[in-house]
Amino acid sequence: MKRASTFALILIALAALPAFAQGKKDKDRRGFVWNDRPTIVFGKDINVAVTGRALVEWRWFDPDIGEDLFALRAGRLGLKGDLTRHVDWEIEREIGAGGVEEDDSRIEFGDWKDVFVRWRTYDAARVKAGRFKIPFGLEQNTGVSELDFAYRALGSQKIAPGRDTGVMVSGELGRLGYEAGVFDDDGDNAEWSENQFVQEGEDLENVGPSFAVRVTGDLFRAISSSGRLRSANLGFAYTIADVPEGLNSLRGESFWGTEDFFERVYVKGRRQRFGAQFDWSPGPTSFRAEWMQSREQRKEQSNRNQDLSDFIGSAWYVSGTWFVTGEDKDNNVNPRRPLLKGGPGAIELAVRYEQLGFESASKQGTSFTNPRAEYLTPNTDSVFTFGVNWITSKWTRVIVNAIHEDFEDAARTPEPGTTSFWSGLVRLNIVF
Amino acid sequence: MRQLIRTGVPLIAFVLALGGPLAAQTSDDFFNPEVLQRIELWMHGQDWEKLKAAFQENTYYPADMTWNGVTVYNIGIRSRGLGSRSSTKPGLRVDFDRYNNGQQFLGLKSFVLDNLTQDRTGIKETVAMRFFTRIGIRAPRETHARLYVNGAYAGLYGLVESVDKTMMGRVFGSIGDNVQNDGYLFEYNYVLGSPWRFTYEGSALAPYKARFDIKTNETHAESLIWGPIEELVRLVNDTSSTLFEQTIGPRLNLPDFVRYIAGQNFIAQNDGFNGYDGMNNFYFYRLENSPSHVFIAWDEDVAFLQPDFGITTRNEENVLTRKTLELPAYQSQYFSVLSEAATSASDWLRPEMQRQFDMIHNAMIEDTLKPYTNAEYAADRETLLAFPDARITYVRCEVAKQTGAPRPSGCQ
Repeated sequence: MKRASTFALILIALAALPAFAQGKKDKDRRGFVWNDRPTIVFGKDINVAVTGRALVEWRWFDPDIGEDLFALRAGRLGLKGDLTRHVDWEIEREIGAGGVEEDDSRIEFGDWKDVFVRWRTYDAARVKAGRFKIPFGLEQNTGVSELDFAYRALGSQKIAPGRDTGVMVSGELGRLGYEAGVFDDDGDNAEWSENQFVQEGEDLENVGPSFAVRVTGDLFRAISSSGRLRSANLGFAYTIADVPEGLNSLRGESFWGTEDFFERVYVKGRRQRFGAQFDWSPGPTSFRAEWMQSREQRKEQSNRNQDLSDFIGSAWYVSGTWFVTGEDKDNNVNPRRPLLKGGPGAIELAVRYEQLGFESASKQGTSFTNPRAEYLTPNTDSVFTFGVNWITSKWTRVIVNAIHEDFEDAARTPEPGTTSFWSGLVRLNIVF
Repeated sequence: MRQLIRTGVPLIAFVLALGGPLAAQTSDDFFNPEVLQRIELWMHGQDWEKLKAAFQENTYYPADMTWNGVTVYNIGIRSRGLGSRSSTKPGLRVDFDRYNNGQQFLGLKSFVLDNLTQDRTGIKETVAMRFFTRIGIRAPRETHARLYVNGAYAGLYGLVESVDKTMMGRVFGSIGDNVQNDGYLFEYNYVLGSPWRFTYEGSALAPYKARFDIKTNETHAESLIWGPIEELVRLVNDTSSTLFEQTIGPRLNLPDFVRYIAGQNFIAQNDGFNGYDGMNNFYFYRLENSPSHVFIAWDEDVAFLQPDFGITTRNEENVLTRKTLELPAYQSQYFSVLSEAATSASDWLRPEMQRQFDMIHNAMIEDTLKPYTNAEYAADRETLLAFPDARITYVRCEVAKQTGAPRPSGCQ
């Protein structure tokens, strides 16, 4: 409990810091300045800034699924900066408060997040090396402070690969943006659950690397009559990697991660992801949609060591938001009248509908949940999220979400026999 | 509707796909004790190796199974057993409905492949269960099988009917229009280092929950599942002889219980209800819509210990056995069942043993994965074949001694 208390105190301090610091912004000064975050400026294009985030959450569930009703979600601390006009860098690591029941006041460090250096001399070709997000998935590549909901859509969490170690080239060519990289594995969201089973005397086959490419563009800008659609951005992405033999496929986890509604199946061969994204933010509204699909080969994976049909994961979502208080969604959202300056902050309504499902390419005969079945019994999780975002300042926001989850297969849900689940949360986000 | 389609369509498709060959066969054919069956399992090569490497775990692996020209696909198998677990010749539980709730095979949801590692004769379990059925004790159907995994001979196994709802329906039939299979079925869990002889362990349900693994109606409230067991144990311990029958009788079928322990004694089962380390190896069933419990026989592969196994061995140690047999009527029934068993065995037990030995002999000899030699098998076979005549004589003489009846010839 001490640890939780310590963490809570740090949160309060973090929340207060930006408010006190707001008047000290000065980009021309050297030494310690406030450029939206604590920053030390050593000279022109040489600086170090402290970044951080912390999330506190109160939740409810109907029916109860055994999750904690209060969560001090992991925070992050990091540093970012510029080395010269040509090079910038960032490091970030998770910090955790542990369980609220633990009598321990230590703050523990968790996984490394972004750790990279980037060469940015030319807009047409920037090179990034280190650990960062693989360029697949609009929402997965959106920072937590800019998300419209407390949690990313299931597809963004389960099909999109997330972070990995690698090298990427990106840039703008006319109206098109591109990112292309090679990575050590296939992203944190797709970690292997089972190493290859190797009998005595056999060698382990190599795993990875993966390749990813994404192309985005303001395609409607080229059409003179497109009007407000000119700000719409379209994108397409693709990844490919080798997957080691074993129970190593992607899997379907329920929204709160308490249960696999589709457990891993045996795979071997190639994993591909295909993605399409749409992002449009006219005035105080925004519309986002994504579709993504994974296809994993199952070579020699049947009960008789024969090839099975591909394992397919599909996900999509559509979401919309509207600033009731009139702020422009297209820019960095700053409340017109922040709470600490006597205003109401910015208030945004949001709604999202999404699906994540898994199945086999084959639909012949009888379906089974057997992880080596040719025809896998499909299961899909459909989720409605209704939200209200109260953005009190540039650094703090309160998110209220009501979530309705509905499973296709009653036998594979967080509570077998029940297909429909409601949950809700109130979250305090502090990000600087 | 979606669920109905999901459950119903596979079942119909499965039945239609198997069509002719399956329709002509029944589960009685599958467990036909006169036939040495041939079971073929087809598994991914890595899965079979993983199962053997992790034989202490209950992880399921997918497989296809072929029997008598019929193949059932996408079944689940796992390692099973307590002391019999083996990395070279694993005992297996086979679940037809593991990956599709609607899938059955010959009306069965599962069965057990007993690896026979604890019985160097290979037939004690199958003979015991057949004998139990012969004398009116509820027991699973069993026979032997040659098991092949991915085409390679994996050894001689016992083919054992699962004690589950399907078996309850077979054994108990119907109550009105309803099949008597929706009661509370428990597998007794032998807790290592904590022998139990039906002593009261307090009003909390945890000790009973630890010893009685629920196999049906698992989602019901604990008070519904284990409350009646706690009550039964408490009443057995607290009730005086004068009120014992009228208090316990409605909660436990006492005549069936006496038949069960007498039958186990006749086959010299040292690790059964009145076992050397407390109770062990049985299922316990509370009938549907009834407070009454009955015992189901299970795992008799260390029976036939010795012909002169005392006919009242450890009857005083177990509270339920002792208090039941304190009643003259049940003590009389106990000796009566022993005599009945001796009579039933006199013209059946040895010929049945010989028949089963003849049936399995080649399969046993060719089984190179068993944890004993063919010479050990041959020696134990001869010992076992000598058991019936000696046991029948011993039991008859001892029953006469206990009841005061005239002693038959041959008594020492």
